[in-house]
Amino acid sequence: MTAALHLSAITHRHPGADQPTLADIDLEVPEGQMVAVLGPSGSGKTTLLRVAAGLEQPESGDVLLDGTSVLGVPPEGRDLTVMFQKPHLFPHLSVLDNVAFADRLRGRSRPASRAAAQRYLDLVQLGDLGRRRPRQLSGGQEQRVALARALAASRRVMLLDEPFSALDTNLRTSMHELLGEVRAALDPTIVIVTHDLDEAGLAERVGVLVEGRIEQFDAIHTLYAAPKTLAVARLVGGFNEVPGTVESGVHYSSLGALVLPAAADVNGTAILLVRKERLGLVDAEATATVTGRVVEVRQSGPHQDVVVELDRAPADRRARVEVEVRLGTTLRPGDRTGVQIPGPGGLWAVDHPGVEDASQISHATSEPAIFDSTTRGRG
Amino acid sequence: MRRLTASGSGRTRPRRSVILALLALWLVIPLTPLVLWAGASRWSGTARLPQDLGSRGWQEALDAGMIAALVRSGLLGVAVALIATPLGVMAGRALGWRLLRRPALPSVVLLAPVVLAPFSVAMGLDIVILRVGIPGEVAVVVVLSVFALPYTTFTMRATYLGLDPALEEQARVLGASTRQARRRVTLPAATTGLVTATGLAFLVGWSDYAVTLLIGGGQIVTAPMLIGSAAAGSGNDALTSTLAVSASLPPLVALAVFTYAASRRRTAAYS
Repeated sequence: MTAALHLSAITHRHPGADQPTLADIDLEVPEGQMVAVLGPSGSGKTTLLRVAAGLEQPESGDVLLDGTSVLGVPPEGRDLTVMFQKPHLFPHLSVLDNVAFADRLRGRSRPASRAAAQRYLDLVQLGDLGRRRPRQLSGGQEQRVALARALAASRRVMLLDEPFSALDTNLRTSMHELLGEVRAALDPTIVIVTHDLDEAGLAERVGVLVEGRIEQFDAIHTLYAAPKTLAVARLVGGFNEVPGTVESGVHYSSLGALVLPAAADVNGTAILLVRKERLGLVDAEATATVTGRVVEVRQSGPHQDVVVELDRAPADRRARVEVEVRLGTTLRPGDRTGVQIPGPGGLWAVDHPGVEDASQISHATSEPAIFDSTTRGRG
Repeated sequence: MRRLTASGSGRTRPRRSVILALLALWLVIPLTPLVLWAGASRWSGTARLPQDLGSRGWQEALDAGMIAALVRSGLLGVAVALIATPLGVMAGRALGWRLLRRPALPSVVLLAPVVLAPFSVAMGLDIVILRVGIPGEVAVVVVLSVFALPYTTFTMRATYLGLDPALEEQARVLGASTRQARRRVTLPAATTGLVTATGLAFLVGWSDYAVTLLIGGGQIVTAPMLIGSAAAGSGNDALTSTLAVSASLPPLVALAVFTYAASRRRTAAYS
């Protein structure tokens, strides 16, 4: 099946820059699906959308809509539209005429385009505000109008450039719900770029963009369970990184010999990845896999993170793991505890070919063994 | 804290009213004798107010060709506005949206006509224009357009500074060509600045005396030329004042209409 939008081997370099902003990007968006491009600030997300929209020209590569190259076609001639981070409502037009803008450009009469616009305004639950001017709207309302305007343009593909990032948590949640309703009603093809994992989770598939390259293109749950690279794991956040070596599907490290899932196809020097919520704390004298001493208890949203320094590590190379527990833990720094390691289903490993000696990695990463999703994942 | 704020604002309000009243007086007082003279048929030097009211000044102004002079001034203003406004929009867009790599030199060049005295420029140009054989009317319009350019450019520069260039990109991804994006989005969004720039360019042409006199060689009789000649030669205060009032009224009426329309637009937006 031909993809509605296909970015093929796109390389882009800003004028005067040594490194390309985008390097050999391939991305396919099937019709009716939503694809998210997840990346930290400066990873090239917005540039990718601008190249797709025709607002920037790539150094090489092609942009195909329904299999046809649109590289030489100006933005207005491409069958796609963009909703930017700022709503960019036209200040001289009423809300209704903003939404009717694309129809008016297509030559539809004012009454007909306004009638169509009213339906889209109703869809975003702002049917009563058509006569207002953009400056009379709140931030959330402006974004809803911008969404209605993008939908009313009736383009083949909608590109959303971090459209809800400036909204507060509640408004963002309500916009996510609205996007779900719109998708159920109209089945549009959407590409959304975001640094927000929750937002990326709205999409069927997520492309992780790191330093101008797509490192992984998978469903969000796969990113959480089986990141392809350390960069993806760090962007997703919440993983303990334990350096070691893999031989015949077994990872050897300060946590011991742990059998990896068959899908983790790694060998040699590798980083074991264990999500902090998959580890458990048990009594130190019980049948714990490893034991250690609590060095820190941190508040992390509706949970607490307990940092445990492991006994097994050599004295000069401290190894720590972070374990997510429910609120109300009685553990305090200095307490001894056991750490329960999950079975193969809760483990993952990625190659780390840059470092040959596993013990060096252990030493280097013993302090920041965990990369918290609230900081790493929202760069 | 609350009481301090309340008493502070209470004191500010009357002070603001007094300042506004003084500003109004500052504008109205110079016009008062003109208006009185325009309605007087006799007003001797010692009297505080005109002794006799009448339309002598108006009759004499009509006989002196006031209507034709006003029409000529209007045409001159329109011609200057038609040239200087589009140029000012282009220059203001480039400066306001920082489209130029080195904006300093163009800014100085565009501002230069304000620094130069029209009289001195016109004195040098009139001979050149005569030798080249450019018609006086065309030369006057071109030179005045150059003098109007700083006003239109810097008004539009300020307007574009307040407009996000991304509006045009947004219009384009909704299906507008480059030209449509400018015509349907940027220019309408810049209406207030555009009207102000047009008004200023019009006034440069409407109120000019030196350039019209020197480059036009006295052949183009506009309202300021008629006022200047009445004030300098006739000693007829009623005629001079009537001409001055009649030359002031059209721009004042236009300003009032524009202000009213703008306030109506603002009110409608909030209704």
